[in-house]
Amino acid sequence: MNIKKAHSSSFRDPSGYVVIEGNDVKRVINPLYFKQYQALRDSKFYENLIKKELLIAHEEMSNSNEEIILKAEKIPFISYPYEWSFNMYKEAALLTLRLQKYALEHGFSLKDASAFNVTFHKGKTIFIDTLSFDFYKEGSPWRAYKQFITHFLGPLLLAKYHGSQSLKLMHNFIDGIPLKMVSSMLPFKTKLNPLIYSNIHLLAKSEAKHNEDYDDNGYKVKLSKNGQQNIVKSLYDFIKKLELNEKSEWGNYYDKTNYSDEAFNQKSKIINSWVADIKPKTLVDIGGNDGTFVRKLDIGIDVSLVCDIDNNAVDINHKLMKKNKERSTLPLVLDVINPSSAIGLNNKERDSFIDRMKEFAPDVTLALALIHHISLTGNVPFVRSAEFFASFSKFLIIEFPKREDSWVKRLLKSKSDFKDYFGWYTIANFETIYSSWFEIIEKKDIQNSERTIFFLKNRLIS
Amino acid sequence: MTFLYFDPGLGAMIIQAIVAAIAGVVLFSKNVMLKIKSFLGIVKKNDEDIFEDIDINDSDLENDK
Repeated sequence: MNIKKAHSSSFRDPSGYVVIEGNDVKRVINPLYFKQYQALRDSKFYENLIKKELLIAHEEMSNSNEEIILKAEKIPFISYPYEWSFNMYKEAALLTLRLQKYALEHGFSLKDASAFNVTFHKGKTIFIDTLSFDFYKEGSPWRAYKQFITHFLGPLLLAKYHGSQSLKLMHNFIDGIPLKMVSSMLPFKTKLNPLIYSNIHLLAKSEAKHNEDYDDNGYKVKLSKNGQQNIVKSLYDFIKKLELNEKSEWGNYYDKTNYSDEAFNQKSKIINSWVADIKPKTLVDIGGNDGTFVRKLDIGIDVSLVCDIDNNAVDINHKLMKKNKERSTLPLVLDVINPSSAIGLNNKERDSFIDRMKEFAPDVTLALALIHHISLTGNVPFVRSAEFFASFSKFLIIEFPKREDSWVKRLLKSKSDFKDYFGWYTIANFETIYSSWFEIIEKKDIQNSERTIFFLKNRLIS
Repeated sequence: MTFLYFDPGLGAMIIQAIVAAIAGVVLFSKNVMLKIKSFLGIVKKNDEDIFEDIDINDSDLENDK
């Protein structure tokens, strides 16, 4: 197979590369990694982790002297670290540590611990880089240790002390947040915690000290397996207990909303009847809070992407997903008016949110109690939001709060002098403009509220 | 090692012995505290826990679906 065909994110590891062919994801293994691959396969290391759904499933397609080709299970939507909530990020960190402990017990070791090697699939984190395991060499330290700290512990600590938005820093630092930066940003009291002191501050100092030391002394450093297990275990215990201390903007949104129970139930009934008509397999709920409306759907959906801007809402959704053992929910932190862009080499290593959405192409998009926020808080004209919603889904279910709605009134009030500028925010205007992108199948007023809900069909996607 | 395609950091390699020693002390003292607490009967059981245990057991693979 020609390396030129390799996926644009697959170039760092000489062990092999990923090729996307139509709907298939293939992993080509180079002779360099044959020994490791065979050992992992023959000892059932792969098989056990795949059974446990901790490693992405694969099957061997061909095996020659030049290359071994695996076919990997395809993940419908790959989420990235900067799109995870705090607890999702924690789950990914813990998976990496669990895998390293398991690997050590079986004579292997993770040779890299990038947060991009983990994603969410079927309601849990899964490791997607099959070739990340190498033989454990007796007495050698963990080569991916620094990477684990800059990809996981660093971002999680910054989130704890500076708010969950810190996790978005991973968008800028594709290879982990620099140690010096993490160390300098953490408050002084963290130096009194032995675990944070040793894993961040001391590590940063040691790295700075040996920064220009190019001798290969690193290869001679010894660390017992037990010592390494202690590092992994102590990090696991620490991260598992790590908590955020910030209040949510939306966390208890449904307690303070202006919906009566009746209106709430009616809204859910309307959505259910429309969804029953189109029988979607995939769905995206933009501004879906903690996933309340998706959970009220009667019909079973394969993948429901539930996006919200608020970390706490996404965290609650993640918790519910874990508690109910849901396999279809995929919570995601998303700012609709600034979705993640493509990053990395040639700007092609990590795809933009919009590109991944186009590829995922959910059958239906829900946008409930959202348009007034986009339009009035974000100053986004209807033309631009219609363009956004028309770019990935065949159907759109969108709720429109009219000018008389109390939330809308509040948002307009906050505009003070510019209030008059938002004269365009009317239901008539909305219908006219959205009609150039969508065909209106049905619309219904929600009783006892100033809101109307629309069922739209995309004119561009058939 | 042949597969080193990123810099593991010399400082990070050297420091791991110290990090491991501190980790050992932390784990040991936590263990002692836990024993004291359970002796006094004040161990909180956390039902809210959504994360799995660190150990991946091969033994219960057969029981999985």
